Amino acid sequence: MGRVRRTTELGLLLLGALIVIGAYSLTALGRTASLPANIGPFLGMLLALFAIGHLAVRKLAPQADGLLLPLAGLLNGLGYVFIARMDTELAAAQATWSAVGMAGFVATLVLIRRARNLEHYRYSFAALGILLLLLPSVPVIGQEINGARIWIRVGPMSFQPGEAAKLALAAFIAGYLVEKRELLALSTKRLGPLYLPDPRHLGPLLAAWGVSLLVMVNQKDLGSSLLFFTLFIVLVWVATGRAAYLLLGVGLFAGGATIAYQLFGHVRDRVTIWLDPWPVAKEAGYQIVEAAFAMADGGLTGTGLGLGDPSRIPANTTDFIFAVVAEELGLVGATALLMAYLLLVGSGLRIALQADSNFDKLLATGLTTLLGVQAFVIIGGVTRVLPLTGVTLPFMSFGGSSLLANYVLLALLVRISDEATARSTARAAEVAVGESPTMVVGS
Amino acid sequence: MNGRITKVGLGLIVCFSLLFLQLTRIQVLQADELDENPENLRSIDRSYEQGRGIVASADGAVLARSVETPDSTFARRREFPEGELFAHVTGYYSFEYGAEGIERTFNDELAGLTEAQRYDRVSDLFVDRDRTADVTLTLRKDVQEVARAALGQRKGSVVVLDPRTGAIQALWSYPSYDPNLLSDHDTDAVRAAWQQLNDDPAAPMLARSYRERFAPGSTFKVVTAAVGVESGVVTATNPVFPQASSYTPPASNNPIGNFGGEVCGGTLVEVLTVSCNSAFAQLGAELIGPQRMISSVGAFGFNTALPVDLPVPAVSVFPTDFGAEITPGVFEDSARLAQAAIGQNDVAATPLTMAMVAAAVANDGRAMRPHALDRIVARDGEVLTRVEPQLWQRPVSPETAALIREAMQSVVAQGTATALAIDGVEVGAMTGTAEVGDGEATNAWVIGYAGTPGQVPSVAFAVIVEADPGIGEQTGGQIAAPIARSVVEVALGAQPRQAG
Repeated sequence: MGRVRRTTELGLLLLGALIVIGAYSLTALGRTASLPANIGPFLGMLLALFAIGHLAVRKLAPQADGLLLPLAGLLNGLGYVFIARMDTELAAAQATWSAVGMAGFVATLVLIRRARNLEHYRYSFAALGILLLLLPSVPVIGQEINGARIWIRVGPMSFQPGEAAKLALAAFIAGYLVEKRELLALSTKRLGPLYLPDPRHLGPLLAAWGVSLLVMVNQKDLGSSLLFFTLFIVLVWVATGRAAYLLLGVGLFAGGATIAYQLFGHVRDRVTIWLDPWPVAKEAGYQIVEAAFAMADGGLTGTGLGLGDPSRIPANTTDFIFAVVAEELGLVGATALLMAYLLLVGSGLRIALQADSNFDKLLATGLTTLLGVQAFVIIGGVTRVLPLTGVTLPFMSFGGSSLLANYVLLALLVRISDEATARSTARAAEVAVGESPTMVVGS
Repeated sequence: MNGRITKVGLGLIVCFSLLFLQLTRIQVLQADELDENPENLRSIDRSYEQGRGIVASADGAVLARSVETPDSTFARRREFPEGELFAHVTGYYSFEYGAEGIERTFNDELAGLTEAQRYDRVSDLFVDRDRTADVTLTLRKDVQEVARAALGQRKGSVVVLDPRTGAIQALWSYPSYDPNLLSDHDTDAVRAAWQQLNDDPAAPMLARSYRERFAPGSTFKVVTAAVGVESGVVTATNPVFPQASSYTPPASNNPIGNFGGEVCGGTLVEVLTVSCNSAFAQLGAELIGPQRMISSVGAFGFNTALPVDLPVPAVSVFPTDFGAEITPGVFEDSARLAQAAIGQNDVAATPLTMAMVAAAVANDGRAMRPHALDRIVARDGEVLTRVEPQLWQRPVSPETAALIREAMQSVVAQGTATALAIDGVEVGAMTGTAEVGDGEATNAWVIGYAGTPGQVPSVAFAVIVEADPGIGEQTGGQIAAPIARSVVEVALGAQPRQAG
């Protein structure tokens, strides 16, 4: 089982590398009609990163799902190609961050040998998560960039601690729900037509949720708020099976959104622009409008790599990188990208299904939801399915914090997958061992 | 719990399907609409800097081409190698001010935007090949150059066309301008040039040859004569107009005098030869009358837009109301009609229209659709368009045309246009000296045709040298005819072979 999966992984990684290298060369050809001078080092670096990841999985999680790493590698590589196309300086940084991310991936696999061990630290994770969320609000180290106070600066480096906070909070919620899910599923208190569980059990959850939301709203980080909120609702529902929580969640969201709309000008702006960006096409709606023009230019098959005009799109290496892909690769390429994310989501949820401890199931579900919803929120924002909220496109957008956090997330999924497969293999072996004597007796 | 995890997956699939649907909307369904959105500088920039085909003259001179500009923010610039020579024909192509002339009329073909160019084959969906097409005009650089040289630094226009096909061979106006000034990438320089060109009282950007109207003066007598013959009120021999030095229209006290107060009269050929005002004023006001005049001039190109393939030609005008009939044959405005019949008063014609009048007479009464375009050829050699000669109007019968030609040849042989007599060439012409404003200054005109004797003439022309207050009176015979002669000689010299 493990060997087949690793061979598949290796093959897919090579395929991914081929696609990325091809895209890199085509982009350079499209722009300057000559192959990039640094194609050799680039090739070496890419293959080295993939090889390190692959060897780490082979050594540390040999039975893990073979799709996760190649998909992440492909997205990371394509993201790099598009960043390099826009800005060579950022590309150099992104290459470094990719290496750091891969190091984080390996380190996570080394350090966390059993995902379930994390369950013990659930309250520490809660504290850590909230602390990380608060950091940017601390004077001196906290920084506001592009209207969102989600950065901290230490020396020459900037981080978005919120990226790590998401993982910590996912671990906390999963752990907490494992402990309390049965209590939460019982309804003892009646509130109007709704039966609610004992507030003592609901309390910590609501508190964590409320604090996080407040902090994020304060920092004007709507994307993360939305993301965290979805994570919370999905996990509570998956854990308890009570549809009432979904309704409650939607109700809370609607209430929160209405209040935020009333209270915060920037929330109102986002909604206005979402509903109709054209009256403000030159001002606040500029990003959305330019992205739409870019994607329309791409059409069905795209302008071709390196042949579009994505420099017109604002934030084209971060929030709007998807618009660049849609411009140069067209609907065909953009859809392929959507499929890549869906495959990643599918792999993650399959791991959740196969995991046999509730904590593993919830953690895998939570992490996958983070990944999938984050991709949905930003792509939806860029394409005007949702109001635009600035979050990164996982594995593709420029940014070290995001890459690192997503690679750690990936490592956790790989870890859970490895454990689940190992256990089911062991169980299959036990069954086989248990059966054979009977057969002997029978003969 | 597993059932719910599966539902989370389904939920995300639904979410991503929404993204796909929205992408399809943006990238396919609304793509054209977004492309044409006025906020979309992307398509404006692209159309400005993308390759455009070449505009060339019939004799192969490059009139407009796109040159790559590696050091600029835009990839390409439109270059007009002939500068001012063809400016009124090719027009300009400016990021700031759009396009004019041929650049405007055939923008889609030059830029490769017509449906035929965009989706020629299935592979066009995927491969971005060069879809631009080249435009070849019927205009000839040699004729255009001689027109410029002959007119010199005098305000005016020279129009030359082939009466058999309507193909325009020269369309020169002075003053002209350099369209390169407007296609520069330096926006400030372009704005300054635009401002300066528009502020210039001489209006160098005005294509006077087809966008400005002038009183046609005596050249309009060709129209009056043709209408008279066609309607049967005049023949070669009848009437014989009375010898007079002036003509006083009915219900008027203002006599219309002959040029220089001379006494003239006689048959149609005789009165046209000497450009006899009294005879033609009488012909128009009394013999032809308002209705017939008004209904007949349309076929010569008056009160109707010429179907030329250049943008927004000015409409030549002839008055359409001469008041009520007071007594039989006498109208309130008969005096005005008498003046209109000799090309004065409210008659105003573009030089192109007057060239068309001469061309219709030359081509046995068949006015061909005037055109500057000869063909459009795609990059792969496929001919997208080839302009075939097309009959536009039949103002007069061949017999009428023949009689008018006889008269116009007499003008060259012994009349006011002797400067146009060329050995071995059949030339017919009519001069005009139209008063402008207070009558001190005059527009000097000549229209006519030339060709091999016994064949349909191959050249029709109109030349106008505009009134210049400093110069005073100038006659068509003295001023315009020599210019026409130089141009006709070159135009007859090397006719480009007719395709097909």
